[in-house]
Amino acid sequence: MASRTRRHGAARSAREGSRRRLPLRLLLPLLVLVALSAMLMLRGYVHSEILADHRVQPPAATTGVPEKILEGGPVIDVRGGRTESVSVPDHRLVLTFDDGPDPTWTPRVLDILKKHDAHAVFFVTGTMASRYPDLVERMVDEGHEVGLHTFNHPDLSFQSKKRIDWELSQNQLALTGAAGVRTSLFRPPYSSFADAMDDKSWPVTEYIGSRGYITVVNNTDSEDWKKPGVDEIIRRATPQGGKGAIVLMHDSGGDRHQTVQALDRFLPDLKKKGYEFDNLTEALDAPSAMSPVTGAELWKGKAWVFLVQASERLTDILVVGLAIIGTLVIGRFVLMLLLSGVHARRVRRRRFRWGPAVTEPVTVLVPAYNEAKCIENTVRSLVASDHPIEVIVIDDGSSDGTARIVEGLGLPGVRVIRQLNAGKPAALNRGLANARHDIVVMMDGDTVFEPSTVRELVQPFGDPRVGAVAGNAKVGNKDSLIGAWQHIEYVMGFNLDRRMYDVLGCMPTIPGAVGAFRRSALEPIGGMSDDTLAEDTDVTMALHRAGWRVVYAENARAWTEAPESVSQLWSQRYRWSYGTMQAIWKHRRAVIEKGPSGRFGRVGLPFVSLFMVVAPLLAPLIDVFLLYGLVFGPTGKTIVAWLGVLAIQAVCAAYAFRLDREKLTPLISLPLQQILYRQIMYVVLLQSWITALTGGRLRWQKLRRSGGVSAPPPGADGIPPQRRSGAMDGRPVG
Amino acid sequence: MTTPPYDPTRPTPAPAMPVPPLPGPTRSAPHMTAPPLHPPVGADTAVPVAPEQEQARRAPVRDRYFDLLRAVALFRVVLYHLMGWAWLPVAFPSIGVMFALAGNLMARSLKRPAVQVVRSRLRRLLPPLWLLGAVGVTGMVLQGWGPNEDGHPGWWWFHLLYWVLPLSDPPFAEGLPGIHGILGEDWASELAGPLWYIRAYLWYVLLSPVLLRALRALPWLTILAPLVLSAAFQFGYLNLPGERFPSALTDFSTFGACWILGMAHQEGVLKRLPRYVVPSVAPVIAAVGLWYAFREGFKTGYDLDSIPFAQAVWSFATVLLLLHVSPSWSEWPRPLRRWDRLITLLNSRAVTIYLWHNVCILVAATLWDQLWGFDVVYEHVPWLLESPWPVLVVAWLLIGSCIVWFGWMEDVAAKRTPRLWPDGGKPSAAKQPRARAAHRG
Repeated sequence: MASRTRRHGAARSAREGSRRRLPLRLLLPLLVLVALSAMLMLRGYVHSEILADHRVQPPAATTGVPEKILEGGPVIDVRGGRTESVSVPDHRLVLTFDDGPDPTWTPRVLDILKKHDAHAVFFVTGTMASRYPDLVERMVDEGHEVGLHTFNHPDLSFQSKKRIDWELSQNQLALTGAAGVRTSLFRPPYSSFADAMDDKSWPVTEYIGSRGYITVVNNTDSEDWKKPGVDEIIRRATPQGGKGAIVLMHDSGGDRHQTVQALDRFLPDLKKKGYEFDNLTEALDAPSAMSPVTGAELWKGKAWVFLVQASERLTDILVVGLAIIGTLVIGRFVLMLLLSGVHARRVRRRRFRWGPAVTEPVTVLVPAYNEAKCIENTVRSLVASDHPIEVIVIDDGSSDGTARIVEGLGLPGVRVIRQLNAGKPAALNRGLANARHDIVVMMDGDTVFEPSTVRELVQPFGDPRVGAVAGNAKVGNKDSLIGAWQHIEYVMGFNLDRRMYDVLGCMPTIPGAVGAFRRSALEPIGGMSDDTLAEDTDVTMALHRAGWRVVYAENARAWTEAPESVSQLWSQRYRWSYGTMQAIWKHRRAVIEKGPSGRFGRVGLPFVSLFMVVAPLLAPLIDVFLLYGLVFGPTGKTIVAWLGVLAIQAVCAAYAFRLDREKLTPLISLPLQQILYRQIMYVVLLQSWITALTGGRLRWQKLRRSGGVSAPPPGADGIPPQRRSGAMDGRPVG
Repeated sequence: MTTPPYDPTRPTPAPAMPVPPLPGPTRSAPHMTAPPLHPPVGADTAVPVAPEQEQARRAPVRDRYFDLLRAVALFRVVLYHLMGWAWLPVAFPSIGVMFALAGNLMARSLKRPAVQVVRSRLRRLLPPLWLLGAVGVTGMVLQGWGPNEDGHPGWWWFHLLYWVLPLSDPPFAEGLPGIHGILGEDWASELAGPLWYIRAYLWYVLLSPVLLRALRALPWLTILAPLVLSAAFQFGYLNLPGERFPSALTDFSTFGACWILGMAHQEGVLKRLPRYVVPSVAPVIAAVGLWYAFREGFKTGYDLDSIPFAQAVWSFATVLLLLHVSPSWSEWPRPLRRWDRLITLLNSRAVTIYLWHNVCILVAATLWDQLWGFDVVYEHVPWLLESPWPVLVVAWLLIGSCIVWFGWMEDVAAKRTPRLWPDGGKPSAAKQPRARAAHRG
């Protein structure tokens, strides 16, 4: 907390300045998000989950197809106005493999071909070539020819010319990126023999010819994709009477072990019969159909393949991340349920006692900076306390007469101390120096206590090992949506997280809105420090390191008003999350120290870091994959999985509400909270990370007061409603 | 239009056309897949159409937010009846919104004695319908429609009474030839298409006193009852004989929840909920409606209108949200000020626009089709002939002329001085003194 603003004018200009710079503070998270979505889009794209079109044209009339094509060979050349077709000479076989490359089967096909010294033609799709560029390169290196089979295998007769052009160029781009060549061979998806050309497919063939490609169909179709058995594949693939042929096989699209086995017999058998296995241009004694690519085209191709590879790898990493976060989230929920149950059971036992009842008077410190609207309610609620107290209001250079208001009340036992504006830690230290009693309660100038709050809060000091106690901060203004969300968050934070931390002995924060300290514990560590933005977390960690116990008092309720606008909420959470990071960093040496400090450093600190700083960073993956699943499928499963996680959250929340004896109705806003609210918190955390990593400094962001009246705490009669939305430090979790 | 009176709140009016003037004609007849939408009939019953007069009397100020909703709803109705896009009623469920607004006004009026309120509502609703009937039925008879149409002259005459008091759908002639080049075939069914809204509206008005009492006694049960009824119809738990009765009850159940929500808004039922409830619950309800629509095969030509339960649920959720948001503008927010006159006009003539828009669309489409006769156009800009957008422009021009020809009836029905173009643009008698004072000052 650098300072609670020296001057009002300065504060405003800072805020406006930051608003103008808003793009900057949002820029990096936004860039990360855009890059992530782009990568996922790319993945969806090369996995044929976008633009996929699985329609197949039924047979049509053949009146528009030239006779000599229908009766001609399988190599159709209609480039530059020609209408020619060529057959493979006798005793030559051209094996063709469609739809690859496939990471499992293509290498085995290539091995068999190599073993029998045969060449073949691979018609690769752009998606597969982009994903497995090494295999394409190997094909070219081993003397095979590569042809185009479109980018993602649609029936071209359904597609526009623009789409056909795109299919070809994108396929070519992938080929160039993978092997540095381009090809003039093309095989249309769902094609078969030359005499199967019809009025739908012929115009496409003509168009593709006009783009400079030779269309290659086949003479014999092994129909290996039907997995008819090795013998059947061989029978179908073998041409009659020593004729030459182009044989259709597949190295991708499913289990191809029959194809591989068939090849291993087919090749030696036919070789014995005098057949040669060449690639297409060798068989036709023509110049190669492939030509090397250089220059910009080559780099474009390489860039494309690189991006696809990156997106594949990124997705793999994200999936691992999702698994980690899923385990963490669910593990945390289970742990919370268990430990909060343990805690509630322990402290609610009929005979439970911290130690001898604490009845000695305590000092309550109320640091206040421009709290004119709320301070009266705050102080009056303290005076109504059923525990003997001394109240010290420390006015931190307010300009709105906060101090005068308190003095004007003329209440007994309430003292006002004025200081020049120096920040909240300084105010607390000054109050500490003036406190008459050994136990000190700290609260905010805009929080309202119940009459029993102070008594409940100090009872744990009956145990001499307890150095500090966290109370139960509750949201008063939970009527609005954003209020209800924070209410859920607070109830869960105080009843699950805090009980868990209590049991584990690593409570990271005493909330500034309601906490109590032993002065004898605070003094050795130098009181409050303004090293971090979250002095409450900082001091709590310091107490842990000094060997004190920090516990949670569930019945010490304090009512506070949560921020009512997104921007206020934003600055509050930014301060918390960045402050927590600062505090963790400040106390990092605890990890290697001995004694209680080391115990905290090796158990508490990693635990807190994991759940407060690292896990939230991965949590957006849940949303990323929710979106990916919704868009690219499987939509149904995605929704069910999401609803499952939601159900777990709902169970935990309901349990927390029951522990706190709260009405369950606000939980109806839980689904929307999962869609809108959580994400804001992630971005805030991401922004804190970026600030931390770039070494940025955060100005103290005093939240603007809305003057809204909070609901009077139910069941707490006589507590005046209070208004505010200041720098509230209820901190449900951290 | 000489110097307008000084009025700091009113910027110079922009003569904005509501229609995006995009190119493109359509040769297809207007889509009339589903039941038509409704006019904010009587929308202004409780709140007078002329804002100036109202203010002068210090009656409740017009809620400009509701005016905006009503204008958008009306514009969307016309757009949808021309385009037939399935997603339009999803994007903005006009009918539900218009019934909700009307229900809201009805509840407001019912502070006075019920009989008086119902009578005044009917008085404002029916005369514009009679005018449509006078023109329409005359036209049908001229084209050969008569008592012997179905061989039951007695029934024909009896059903004709529904043109006077539309307790059920007014009858119309089927398969009329039209007027070549101007009025398309089967125009009477287009003309009568939107009338179900008037019929439903009439029933809501008649039942409102009862509904209001039920609402006060058991608020949420009353609001949800129509949805339950709608589900009963959709899932076949309830089958009624005949045609007129089930169709009336289906419409009632589909939009009843919206009407009652409007009343509930006026009664403050929604305000009694914590503010987080509606935004949390409405999206879930809406999702259920949408999910059901898709399950039933939602597409163009088979949209929400064909799936009444989905329509009911989706409209309910949307109206719930719109009413929750309701900012109650007593004057226009700055960006909307330029639309003031247009929205005022649409609100003042809502019934007329609703009643006549379908005929206007038919005429516009028929006229536009005439262009196919010109080879030059056909050969050079065939896309213009196909585009629906010019038809939309023509249709709105025709609607504008209907406002001039028939709109005055709404003023007569409201016992006001008839006006041709009530867009609130001219200084009214009520305003002038203030204006003069400003000048003098």
